[in-house]
Amino acid sequence: MSQGLNYEFLIDTFFVALSGISITLLVTVISLIIALPLGFLLAITRINRIPVIQRIAQIYVSFVRGTPIIIQIFIIYSSIPLILKAFFDKYNIQLDIYKINPIWYALIIFSFSTTALLIEVFRSALGTVKKEQLEAAYSVGLTTFQAYRRIIIQQVLVVALPNLCTTTVNLIKATSLGYAMSLPEITLNAKVAANMGYNYVEAYLDIFIIYLILCMAVEYIFKVLEKRLSKYKMANA
Amino acid sequence: MVSVMEKYFDISYVWTALPSLLPFLQVTLFVSSITILSGTFLGLILTIFKLSHNKLLNKIGNGYTTIIRCTPSIVLLFLVYYGIPKLAEEFNLNLQNINTAIFVIITFTLQFAAIMSEVIRSAYQSIDKGQYEAAVSVGLSPFQAYWRIIFPQALVIALPNFGNGIIAVLQEGALAYTIGFIDIVGKANLMITNNINAHALEIYIALAIIYWALSLLIEKFFGILEKTFSKGKKTLETT
Repeated sequence: MSQGLNYEFLIDTFFVALSGISITLLVTVISLIIALPLGFLLAITRINRIPVIQRIAQIYVSFVRGTPIIIQIFIIYSSIPLILKAFFDKYNIQLDIYKINPIWYALIIFSFSTTALLIEVFRSALGTVKKEQLEAAYSVGLTTFQAYRRIIIQQVLVVALPNLCTTTVNLIKATSLGYAMSLPEITLNAKVAANMGYNYVEAYLDIFIIYLILCMAVEYIFKVLEKRLSKYKMANA
Repeated sequence: MVSVMEKYFDISYVWTALPSLLPFLQVTLFVSSITILSGTFLGLILTIFKLSHNKLLNKIGNGYTTIIRCTPSIVLLFLVYYGIPKLAEEFNLNLQNINTAIFVIITFTLQFAAIMSEVIRSAYQSIDKGQYEAAVSVGLSPFQAYWRIIFPQALVIALPNFGNGIIAVLQEGALAYTIGFIDIVGKANLMITNNINAHALEIYIALAIIYWALSLLIEKFFGILEKTFSKGKKTLETT
């Protein structure tokens, strides 16, 4: 083994790992797009105590928060092929389940866990909006949908932003576990490069830096957003 | 559909897997306990850094927390696992044969310290400054004021976040298997390899049940603790 760091490898691998950033961001953004409305709707069922759904949502949230994400990945990654195989066999669909792009698994898993986390985020944010807001909206003739779209959601978003930021950063970090389903994101790319020359330290330093920049950028964006949205709130107050 | 599922999936296997997994929970809990102790201690030092009037110490404390918050556990784990022996090599120390548990503990201590520094800081700052002044004015020494007046109040506020931190570190610890550490997840993966990948799903479900139960237990425990400690607060108010 060579002494010291291999700087040439450090720089080369940085760009190899960086090439995974598009997959990381793609999975993060699509998971958020799926999870945001779902999480919001389920949060409303929790707030309004809709009998069966709210109970299911409660157990769902408890499960996701109570188990490590890597185990959720293991479970979903090994159960989907079983379910699909049974389904394909029944309907005679000629499709090789082992050729499915791992990105589909990643999207299912990360939207599954993010939705649960967002239910809690929105639930606590909805709790801060006074009931009178909705009643006032009704009294001027808005429908429930309009009231939520024009009155409630804006207020909820401002309150939820800091927690949304945390959830997004955690989601980006969680995508580093995509290696478990051979998803070619940042971590896996660096890992593969490192395996060739046993330059593990260099490879992990690279991804360490990439995640640091990525997450700090996300935190910065959310800070700017928060400033803008709360300004908007002040103007209306 | 059912006939195909039956060949691959046997729910009863979950219950047969549990007894082989549970003994390894000890390993997980042992490593977590050391992590929590050392992480809390390091977190306390970081809090002192963050609250100090020295700008440099402030920067170190806050910078550390930001960096750890932005680093995925698996990246930190591998950096520690490969980085520390390499660093030691420069000083002619050979750490190649060191127990992997040490690396696991170091990694999650670093992580838990960042969590704890925020928990302690926010709890400390939520206590009114007047409490300390009042304590000193009736003749308590600064140490007594902190120990008898500030600490009991801050503890109650910190408890729920402390519990969440413990659950978080326990869950992140599930990744220790990636460096070959045989805790409960490592054992599960060994069992699956021995089975030539059969019944993987059942074993993972068993794992999930164990973690889920553990998290619920910790949550419940901290809920009770919080109640007990807040009770003391109430009697104090009424007297």
